[in-house]
Amino acid sequence: MLVRRCPWRSVQLHQFWRPRQIHTREAIYDKRWPDWEVVIGIEVHAQIKSRRKLFSESFTSRPGETPNTTVSAFDSAFPGTLPTLNPKCVELGVRTALALNSKVQPHSAFDRKHYFYSDLPAGYQITQRYAPLASGGYIKLSKGDVSVGITQIQLEQDTAKSTFDGLRRTSLIDLNRAGSGLMEIVSEPDMRSPEETADYVRTLQAVLRCVGSSDGNMEQGSFRCDVNVSVNKHGHAHGTRCEIKNLNSVKFMMIAITSEVFRHIELLESGRSVPQDTRGFDENKAETFNLRSKADSPDYRYMPDPNIPPLLLSEEYIETIRKSMPDLPDATRARLLNLGLSERDTDVLMAIDSGREVGFDGELGKGAVYYFDSLAQQRDPRVVVNWMTHELIGQLTARKETFSDNPVSVEQLGELIDLVQNGKITGTSGKLLLKHIIANRSSSAPSVLAQELSLEAVSEGDSASTRAWCVEAIEALPDEAEAVRQGNPRVLNKLVGKVMQLSRGRADAQTARVVLEDVLRR
Amino acid sequence: MSVGVYPFRSCGSSCTRSFATSNLRRSAAIHAEHAQLLNKSTNALVSFPTKNHNPNPHGPLSHLTVAVKDNICTTHLPTTCSSSMLRHFTSPFDATAVELLKAKGATIIGKANCDEFGMGSLNVNSIHGPVVNPYQSPDEKHIPRAEREQRSAGGSSGGSAAAVAAGLCDAALGTDTGGSVRLPASYCGITGLKPSYGLISRWGVVSFADSLDCVGVFGKSMDTVKTVFDSISSYDPKDPTAATPHTRERAKALAESLLSTLDANLSDPDLSSLRIGIPQEYFPSELNITIVTAVRKVLERLSSLGAQLIPVSLPSTPYALSAYYVIASAEASSNLARYDGVQYGTRSPLLPGVDKSKPGNVYAHTRSAGFGVEVQKRILLGTYALTADAFDNYFLQAQRVRQRIKADFDSAFRVPNAQLSNPSPNPDGVDILLHPSAIRSAPRLDSDAVSGLGPYLQDVMTVPASLAGLPAVSVPAGSAADGWPVGVSIVGQWGSDELVMCVGKVIEGTTNEDDSDPNFAFDFAFGSIVDAVGRIDAT
Repeated sequence: MLVRRCPWRSVQLHQFWRPRQIHTREAIYDKRWPDWEVVIGIEVHAQIKSRRKLFSESFTSRPGETPNTTVSAFDSAFPGTLPTLNPKCVELGVRTALALNSKVQPHSAFDRKHYFYSDLPAGYQITQRYAPLASGGYIKLSKGDVSVGITQIQLEQDTAKSTFDGLRRTSLIDLNRAGSGLMEIVSEPDMRSPEETADYVRTLQAVLRCVGSSDGNMEQGSFRCDVNVSVNKHGHAHGTRCEIKNLNSVKFMMIAITSEVFRHIELLESGRSVPQDTRGFDENKAETFNLRSKADSPDYRYMPDPNIPPLLLSEEYIETIRKSMPDLPDATRARLLNLGLSERDTDVLMAIDSGREVGFDGELGKGAVYYFDSLAQQRDPRVVVNWMTHELIGQLTARKETFSDNPVSVEQLGELIDLVQNGKITGTSGKLLLKHIIANRSSSAPSVLAQELSLEAVSEGDSASTRAWCVEAIEALPDEAEAVRQGNPRVLNKLVGKVMQLSRGRADAQTARVVLEDVLRR
Repeated sequence: MSVGVYPFRSCGSSCTRSFATSNLRRSAAIHAEHAQLLNKSTNALVSFPTKNHNPNPHGPLSHLTVAVKDNICTTHLPTTCSSSMLRHFTSPFDATAVELLKAKGATIIGKANCDEFGMGSLNVNSIHGPVVNPYQSPDEKHIPRAEREQRSAGGSSGGSAAAVAAGLCDAALGTDTGGSVRLPASYCGITGLKPSYGLISRWGVVSFADSLDCVGVFGKSMDTVKTVFDSISSYDPKDPTAATPHTRERAKALAESLLSTLDANLSDPDLSSLRIGIPQEYFPSELNITIVTAVRKVLERLSSLGAQLIPVSLPSTPYALSAYYVIASAEASSNLARYDGVQYGTRSPLLPGVDKSKPGNVYAHTRSAGFGVEVQKRILLGTYALTADAFDNYFLQAQRVRQRIKADFDSAFRVPNAQLSNPSPNPDGVDILLHPSAIRSAPRLDSDAVSGLGPYLQDVMTVPASLAGLPAVSVPAGSAADGWPVGVSIVGQWGSDELVMCVGKVIEGTTNEDDSDPNFAFDFAFGSIVDAVGRIDAT
């Protein structure tokens, strides 16, 4: 009865005395370390892409912001301040949990983790030690039918940033980041190689970006990885793990894991044991180094935060979020293929889409897929994707621009495609028109531009013009005309090309072909 | 010294004098000057505004002068928490309670002395020095002030209580974590309310133990206390532990039926529907017997007005003090971690040769110099209670005791707890509990009672209501054998603050009457309580 009245207690027992579940996977033989199995798990700290901080009204800061400008009294731990949970952060956490097939807990709570450091103004970090936001879940990697288990997802505060000024021998503190929301996403130790780990990180980044919960940028520090590595002989129990902290790119993470694996193997093969360390990574030497051993690990004196009431999430709330969630990459991919798009076009579209900017507070960025979807309403998706991937993106790439620079509105490209599809302009004219819009950053309607540029197609009734261009083409290319007359139909294409050139693309190639054949037969 | 501001009360009877009439006669400027003079003898106030600027001179509280405990943030005066750590600290914002008072036109006359960060029961742990109880016993009336015995005003809100008792102001804000309003009110012979947890916003109240801290109100009369309480008890979205309007409404509805039968403004109110519980555990062996006599007189009067006196038992009470000190110290160790001299507050320069690369060295230096002995003691105790090895046996165990104490109260009261989702009414329960506020009258500042374990024992009567978050008011109830004031506490179900104040007002009215009817007959219930007290004394 008493235990039931201390809700965090039962959770604590469940969490910490549970035997570590390590999913058994078929042995993978890696030629770098043929006798050894490598076991890897990751803790990711992803900054929540919310406009405001987790417990205060101040704005979250962007990289490059003037230090100590987005700081409230609460962020700097002034006496008398109290936290107020930002519901947007909860929503983005729930979105993430749903995207990772994790069970959102109807009851979660916040705890304080204590340690003294200058980047932690309150002397404690508010986190979710005993009752996390969500537990369980998995994520499917992109290669080789591998599923990585998710242990739990918790919300917590970010710390301030401290920079050591070696010259002045001073630590500089920037409180802009202090109190921003983080999601700690803990994986099961389900990965077996540095490559799988990289795949996990990239897949997770894509999911977070897709649901808009984080921009997942490792280099800028909005997505930070602590990696746990252990090795064991095939068929043996798992080895002692070491944690490598603060890896800030996928490349360095892979190098760090590889070097750590070799270090463990070397220790074990020389008959020594691996001590349970927390390690840093030296990018220049490409090796890890000891930060602290297990004996030195601090006692964080976790305590349920007495200010923040338990977070109770109703089934209804979770369902509302589930329904309003953007499609996950897998679902989007399936949907696009279902529309009749080729694998290649789908890949191109999604690759471009993944580079879109993630909006604040879960506002969905308008990327390439959104652009495609808007265009494909009441239009043939295959035609649309052709125009997008071949013409629009092709021309942008030729100008060394990216999709985010795209000046062509959905309405413009839509009208342009319709003009071509309805025979108002030819495909060639359409491409020319698109080039014109991009080059001149024109916002005029394509129909108006077509008129201004005299790009309107010759109408079917206007056979006189086509006939005139055909006659002109035959006169210009007498040898080719003769060859056709002699029964070489392939040369006809050259004459059609000439007609198109003479008409500046306005003539319809098919009509020109018929007329040419007719003129030559006479 | 004009008659209207005579600071020292000769007995409990002067407390019903209306603050409005006493203060309208003098201007604010004279008052401020006067206040500083009076303050010298009590050391109640520690800072005063340089000019008396009232931004809202026509507000409903424009006649009211208020002192604010020095751990409640104000922008126009420093907030030192009586700690060397915050000696020069001025907050960038006003506490919500202060903001509300200012908006309604109240004049803040100064910041009140207190125990450092609210830790203490006697207001002796303060960089500003101890507060001297302004009460003057009838025998000492003719002795010069400097030669009178100096007694503690109680703590931790001793400055707030003393300021009101000395007539420096009409009302004062204090904070009550384990009795810090009720105890000084009792020692100083005034009224002190600790409202239900969550009714008054804690935004701007410097945290000692978040789950226990409440803003409390002092006044010489229940009317003053109620006026101030009503002005500052409102939902504040800035306080995550604030009771929501919905819960407030619910509690109000639950208390409605009983309240409508009581009219405390009558000279002979009919209390026949009121069931008063006398908790037997609140009469421990340490209780001074002359205090029992004073409480007995109060009960006699209430009984004569028709109230039913019912003995009740709150069996977990003996564990409350230990649980309180574990929880409060654990939370304090966490809340006070921020005072490291990095962002604000005092920073002690390092001794030469100290290895600055270890944060521990730098922090320990400032914290050892900036915190007083009592605060350090509690931080160490709380830190220990939260370590991985001790967490289960201390912190969690204390939380379990706290749940039992809450359950004890819930099963004693007739009205269910409005905070519970499925409250079940308890027709046999009582409406309020009544017990002595303290085990004794104010101790002398130079006595043994202010050192050793004494100060901790002072909290024994007050911490259960704090642990359960219940409203409790201490009202003057005559004097002990030494001539010094005695207070009785009325404790109600969560959210029944109005009922508690209403009964307080009845007691206030009856205490001021001449001594009780000698022919008062003990009823059966009261007789059994006295028996119970006797048993406890014997063990």
